[in-house]
Amino acid sequence: MRRLFLAVLLLAGCRPSDRPVVRASNRIVSLLPTFTEILFDIGAGDRVVGRTTWCDYPPAALAVPSVGDGMPPNVEAVAATKPDLVVLYNSGPNVTAAQQLERLGIRTVLLDMNRFEDLGPATRRLGQLTGLEQRAESLATAMDSLTNRPLASSTASLAFVVWDNPPIIIGRGSYLDQLANLAGARNVFHDITAPSSQVSLETIAARDPDWIAVLSDSAVTPAFAKRREWRAVRAVREGHFLLLPGSLFGRPGPRSGQAVKELRALLGQHGAGAQHAAPLPTGSSR
Amino acid sequence: MKWALLCLLAILALIASVVLGPAAVPLGELLRSDIVWNLRAPRAVLAFLVGGSLGVAGAGLQALVRNPLADPFLLGLSGGAGLGAVLAIALHLSGPWALPIAAFVGALVALGLVYRLGLIGGAALDPRILLLGGVAVGAFAAAITTAIVALADAVELRNAFLWLWGGLSGASWDAVLVVALYAPVPLVVLLAASRPLDLLALGEEPAGYLGADVEAVKRRVYLAASLLTAAAVAVSGVIGFVGLVVPHIARLTWGHRHRALLPAAFVGGGALLAIADTLARTVVAPRELPVGVVTALIGVPVFAVLLRRWSIA
Repeated sequence: MRRLFLAVLLLAGCRPSDRPVVRASNRIVSLLPTFTEILFDIGAGDRVVGRTTWCDYPPAALAVPSVGDGMPPNVEAVAATKPDLVVLYNSGPNVTAAQQLERLGIRTVLLDMNRFEDLGPATRRLGQLTGLEQRAESLATAMDSLTNRPLASSTASLAFVVWDNPPIIIGRGSYLDQLANLAGARNVFHDITAPSSQVSLETIAARDPDWIAVLSDSAVTPAFAKRREWRAVRAVREGHFLLLPGSLFGRPGPRSGQAVKELRALLGQHGAGAQHAAPLPTGSSR
Repeated sequence: MKWALLCLLAILALIASVVLGPAAVPLGELLRSDIVWNLRAPRAVLAFLVGGSLGVAGAGLQALVRNPLADPFLLGLSGGAGLGAVLAIALHLSGPWALPIAAFVGALVALGLVYRLGLIGGAALDPRILLLGGVAVGAFAAAITTAIVALADAVELRNAFLWLWGGLSGASWDAVLVVALYAPVPLVVLLAASRPLDLLALGEEPAGYLGADVEAVKRRVYLAASLLTAAAVAVSGVIGFVGLVVPHIARLTWGHRHRALLPAAFVGGGALLAIADTLARTVVAPRELPVGVVTALIGVPVFAVLLRRWSIA
């Protein structure tokens, strides 16, 4: 009964500072690339015993055995690594997986990770759980300053296109909207509160972004650029694509400062005249 | 009178889908606007052609299998198209038309398999086996699709499902041209089978006595309706309810004679999909609803009202 109560407390995501940590975790499974990056950054990399197939940074993380793609988590594979802590992204299927792991007596923590604001608290929480509060605090401070600094003035506009048919774009609810903002570009779908949404091609054409940003690991413009209906969008006609590698841009994390810089450089390189604001925190303590 | 009203509805639907949209285009600039000319107009025409094709395909299949639940996608075509699309992504087939062509080929393979299963008892195409075979082939294809999506690494694979339910976002004059050249052949074949389809409603044996070449008609109707549906899925994904509800609405109003029923199902299906797509684009703008949601939300209540009127009368 007490354990159930504790589990409920954990799952309710109550404030981390409320609960003293009994012992530092030594065998951790991280089920989100962002958490893996943070754990390695604060010096807990040697305690990570399981990761997802998507956890490809830092390179040392690749030496950790993978427990699958984590969507949803393979509870047996996670349990087989005999972890004393499993860190999960706070979402519906993961709540179920966390409950199953708790029933096996494995401690789980669900953390939000949708916006840059979530980075600081998540880092501090991971610091507490690993007993590495100091290093976590310095990273967390750097992460907090990402969202505290004044925004660069927007000189260019862009739309993040996640999928082309039906067109799905990124709205205000995603960290990518913040990323664009910090890099000095305006997301033309900032008015959509959801992280992502289906829109009409017509809406993209009418909002007329200077750039179409695509998360892509290849340097080739996406196939939809050649489709006739997409030629109605000016940025597509002009070939104004920003191809952003997924490992750096596809997740918020310790390298988000670097992602902002690189995006700003990409925008500036192409003569969009991005204004250079104050230097960004790199986040990495190494 | 009925025809005049239906045609008026279709014309109004087409006008509305060109005039209305999430982007503000002043009426005066309607004809000069790139958005209207290159996005809205082809989308409206494609919606009309696809909706009409699904309506006719549904009416033909319902008569063929003598089952009111028959839907153009029931016979395994959506499963085959989905598998085709997923394979195209998994094999990294590139090119702007790779997905539609792969989906079309997938639907054709499913069609061929179901057709072969339908002939399993001999030379006569058995409508009951056709239905069962369609459901089985569809389920099998869907299982393979899900397995590929679950096991393969490509992140984009998850989006194949989005494509399959994508609706008319991919509309362009190219797509309109392809459908406009392709669809008339199966449509004419179905229309030419109007009289035998009427007879088929009496049962296969009586239809044979009354002079219908039952086996040939069944094959022609099955192939023509499926080929129409395969083209529809290639350009617009799976759009539910049009092919199920429109034939029934047409039947309640125009009766069971296919010479009137099939054209009514075409114009009605076209009008319904054009209206549904216009609503999908505008109601929650700047966001967009999947068009299948809207076809069900409009089609089912209209169907219920007509069913009630018809039962009372």
